[in-house]
Amino acid sequence: MSLLEVRDITMRFGGLTAVDGVTFDLRQGEILAVIGPNGAGKTTLFNAITGVYEPTQGSVKFRGSQVRRNPDLKLALRAAAVGILGAISTFVALNAQPIWTAAIDANYLLDKPFPWSKAFMDGWTTARAVPLVWGIIPAVVGGIIGAATVLALWQHLRRTPDLIARAGLARTFQNIRLFTDLSLIENVLVGMDSRLQCGYWTNLLRLPAFARERSRSTAEAMELLAFVELADRAHAAAGSLPYGHRRRLEIARALASKPAVLLLDEPAAGMNPSEVTSLMQLIRRVRDRGVTVILIEHHMKLVMGISDRIVVLQYGRKIGEGTPQEIQADRRCIEAYLGAEDEL
Amino acid sequence: MRARANPILIFFAVAAALPMFFGATGLFYDAFQSIFVFALVGLGLNIITGFTGMLNLGMAAFMAIGAYAFAILTCDIYPFQIGFWWGLLLSGAIGALAGFLIGAPTLGLSGDYLAIVTMGFGEITLDVLKNLEAITKGTQGINPLPRPTIGGWTIELQDERSWYYLLLLILAVAVLCVRRLERSRTGRAWLSIREDALASQCMGIPPKRTRMIAFATGSAVAAIGGALFAALLSSTGEPNSYDFQVSILALCIIIVGGMGSVAGTLVGAVVMVGMNAIVLVKLADWFGSREHGASSNVLASPNNWKYLIFGLALILVVRLKPEGLVPPRLEGESGAQPPTSPTPRSGASAGGAGA
Repeated sequence: MSLLEVRDITMRFGGLTAVDGVTFDLRQGEILAVIGPNGAGKTTLFNAITGVYEPTQGSVKFRGSQVRRNPDLKLALRAAAVGILGAISTFVALNAQPIWTAAIDANYLLDKPFPWSKAFMDGWTTARAVPLVWGIIPAVVGGIIGAATVLALWQHLRRTPDLIARAGLARTFQNIRLFTDLSLIENVLVGMDSRLQCGYWTNLLRLPAFARERSRSTAEAMELLAFVELADRAHAAAGSLPYGHRRRLEIARALASKPAVLLLDEPAAGMNPSEVTSLMQLIRRVRDRGVTVILIEHHMKLVMGISDRIVVLQYGRKIGEGTPQEIQADRRCIEAYLGAEDEL
Repeated sequence: MRARANPILIFFAVAAALPMFFGATGLFYDAFQSIFVFALVGLGLNIITGFTGMLNLGMAAFMAIGAYAFAILTCDIYPFQIGFWWGLLLSGAIGALAGFLIGAPTLGLSGDYLAIVTMGFGEITLDVLKNLEAITKGTQGINPLPRPTIGGWTIELQDERSWYYLLLLILAVAVLCVRRLERSRTGRAWLSIREDALASQCMGIPPKRTRMIAFATGSAVAAIGGALFAALLSSTGEPNSYDFQVSILALCIIIVGGMGSVAGTLVGAVVMVGMNAIVLVKLADWFGSREHGASSNVLASPNNWKYLIFGLALILVVRLKPEGLVPPRLEGESGAQPPTSPTPRSGASAGGAGA
């Protein structure tokens, strides 16, 4: 069974169809390259897969099912809670003063014990006496608006990048997006976030679990930095890294979540030949860790050298799929793309 | 080369020693009490704007919420009277709750839009405080407020030195908490959102939830600052004590001190509030002593230069040291950083996500 099934993905922006019905499978343990001329829709396809965009049509199945939030009891409870909260706050906003006066001011005498239950009853009586136009009607409207907002927001957030990342798809970006003011190791630790458990209060109070997790995660992050040969600069700012090293840090950051699939968007862009060679080795070593790799690349030596299979896009459509040998022999693919390159 | 002095420790050591060297004048204590209060508000804003990158122009509202929550819960004109310490804790909790309620619908907004929403929230809060007279006593403010007691010993209002150390201690606890959060998974998530929200989300960090937690934490710290502000005066003062200028002052503190730097916030509070509470007061005295007859000239009163000086300070910092007086430092960073190499852009592929 394939790890990732991309079915009929279409991505329209207004009148422009950037990706048009692309279908392919990603098999466990392979390196798949997506190639095509500039503007063919490769990065858009990546964005649709990783949840940055919601595809206009089509589906992406990971391990046989779509990664999305399904309506559940928690959602219903949340909508109900927000609805009730909205109703109460609307009511209070309109009637706070008389209720407060009846409950607190009318009952409170300095130096006498405060009659809490009487105050509560007086407040309740005043609240019940509020006419419908100032009481129940706006409260119900407020409640409905609150609950409806939760549902509408949720509809928008069914398939977000963070959910997909947590499911096991990690990515890098075409225009490297590191956290430049954070150190290398912190960048990797952010990537590891989905695997860390310590919550807010554990971190604030420094409970024992915090120290345990910190030493474990730091060691793992150092191991990953060593894997991409950046361990010696672990505490330098990511922004101080030279360009070629940034790509490798981005890969380490993406690997930190222990993903099943790694999506690399033009990893070799701007690299010199020796850097490309070491990048190819790095990608192979990533695959040997058990991570399935899918990459966008223009650098033909790299693509032909390491890919198990290649998908060719042109004008948003898939025009070919196969092994490097098959693609190099395919007339349409050569005309669309390979022929235009000097390298071949 | 390894351990450079920790500016936060230096700040607290100097602040703790200061009353022994300085003459124990009322001016000194007034100034520093207000510096510590605004350092708390700045610390809260630093979490929201400095760490997480959400521009908040309504910090005064959260300070006001803290002050009024504290006042209503502790003042003896109301039946609650839960005492100083519980009041302080609960006002922080109420500040956090207010942060959540404001944050839930608005934190999906980005940058400038959020700034406008928070600014509007500040104005609405002021109007509510002024008009909800049965509860907030309108423009009179709520007073008197209780004094803190520590094991049976009460700190009286006149006991300036004890107040000084009390505020310093609370500030130290707040700084410790903020530093702990900053150097944990929680704080890293905040910083990553500031650095690059999309990349952070693609690393599995839920942006909205993370922003909410930052917003609520910052609001809670500012609310505690507001509660102390009221406790110091033994009154919430009039609602206009929490107007837009206070929000701007908080913002100036973190810009001058250094966005995202806890030490910077402390220094920024000393510079901005100290200028207001020491330099301007001294100048006013000096001008007053040289008064010759009709000095009704508005220019002759240094208090009227306040915003001019704020503006100048801001411009100077932004021009000369844009990262602030004490810029944030990386954890475990040692010695000099290697120079930042210029970033070569691959000509063909520098485009955005839409390629």
